[in-house]
Amino acid sequence: MPLMTPALSISHLRKVYRRGTVAVDDLSMTIAPGDFFGFLGPNGAGKSTTIHCVTGIATVTAGTIKVFGVDAVKDYREARRLIGLSPQEFNVDPFATPRQIVEWMGGYFGMPFAERRRRCDELLDRFGLAEHQKKAFRELSGGLRRRVILARALIHDPKLLILDEPTAGVDVELRRDLWRYLQELNRDGTTILLTSHYLEEVERLCRTITIIAKGKIARQGPKEEFLEGSGLEDAYLAATGAEPDHIAGAA
Amino acid sequence: MKRMGINWIGLGTIIRREWSRVMRVPIQAFVAPWISALLFIFIFGFVVGGRIRLIGGYHYITFVLPGVVMINVVNAAFLQSTSQIYFQRFLRYIEETLVAPLSYVEMILGALSMVVLRSFVTALGILVIGLVFGAVALQSFPEFLIWIAAVAVIFGLLGIIIGLWAKNFEQLTVFNVFFITPFAMMGGAFFTVSMLPPWLRWLAYGNPFFYFINGLRHAMIGYGEGSEIFGASFSLLLCAVLGVIVWRLFARGYGLRE
Repeated sequence: MPLMTPALSISHLRKVYRRGTVAVDDLSMTIAPGDFFGFLGPNGAGKSTTIHCVTGIATVTAGTIKVFGVDAVKDYREARRLIGLSPQEFNVDPFATPRQIVEWMGGYFGMPFAERRRRCDELLDRFGLAEHQKKAFRELSGGLRRRVILARALIHDPKLLILDEPTAGVDVELRRDLWRYLQELNRDGTTILLTSHYLEEVERLCRTITIIAKGKIARQGPKEEFLEGSGLEDAYLAATGAEPDHIAGAA
Repeated sequence: MKRMGINWIGLGTIIRREWSRVMRVPIQAFVAPWISALLFIFIFGFVVGGRIRLIGGYHYITFVLPGVVMINVVNAAFLQSTSQIYFQRFLRYIEETLVAPLSYVEMILGALSMVVLRSFVTALGILVIGLVFGAVALQSFPEFLIWIAAVAVIFGLLGIIIGLWAKNFEQLTVFNVFFITPFAMMGGAFFTVSMLPPWLRWLAYGNPFFYFINGLRHAMIGYGEGSEIFGASFSLLLCAVLGVIVWRLFARGYGLRE
């Protein structure tokens, strides 16, 4: 595989739902290997739909998606081996335990038993879940549930980690801890795609930012370009068509 | 497109996950059909059985028990596959397998393996109870297993289709109420076709359950009213047709992918 093959390459992606809603329209973007990529946009802009198309949760209406050069539709099994997904919603069996949830995911990815167990122990320890590993998922607090979802996404050591609002509803302590861990992972070579409504989080972690609005790319570039002038928040509001506060306040 | 080998570990994990889910409700999954079989043996074997004349040369409970096994297997297979697929969709943990490197065939095989396993445990439990109480015989164990597996696959596939189609819990029960229960009752579990008036015999001969029960009864007590060859061919054809339908639905992402 060539050295600079993009971690994720999306070309002219279009997603139309069965009832005719166009969720994503002619979206193209590229994530360089090793990047920490912020994917921003208001609710309903098409962020989660794009992620679902990349990971196979949604079908692709038109366009191509390649993960490290592997076609995510034609060679979907090979592409999926490379991706770890922490979704926005808790899509787990609520009666299963954290250990089962993480360990089963390793199984789906074809990890042998000994490797699965070692990695599962490591992640449960790392996320402070060891003492909760035998409780049912539904008995856990929101923060612990979020950690289980993250551990599940990391079980097979993915090259591209997709985090769809990973810190929504978690306390400050966990958020800071998670930031440190994600930075460590990224330093070790994992490419990360992050969606978040916390602009502080994006500003702190990401190197490249793409803003999406109404299913289309509104603006993309290195973080520094967004920070020039009045900062990321104003750039975000301008790109998504909303009015920055200080302008609204002056009117 | 690159070819990849079968993800055996993934396949095994689907079965382990489903086994774990079923074992959260062992009374509902296994004990209920076994107790139901015990009650059939008690009522038809000891209470009213002596007052009913021999059927085809067999005591009534011996004649009825293969039908009881089959009805319980059909219910076990159908409930296992509908609940497996529907709950995964309803709670969205189907996405765990959708984002994993599992092919459609592996996902279907994983679901069906658990259906067959649950059906075997249900059927073998009833068989053992029947043998212990002297209520039934077993002519051919391989034939018995083949019929259980074939019927489990047929109703497992039907259950997958219903599980993919259903939008709510009410729809899950529609097939059971309007198809499985009436056809099972009219399929010769509790009577021979010769007991029906000639103008009503089509109800049995045109009923797929008749051939399933007939095949299993032949395997257990050696008695059959219909052609086992026709029944076996018909069952194989059903497996193939339903298998292709389910495979196409998975490939299209029907009920699975947004």
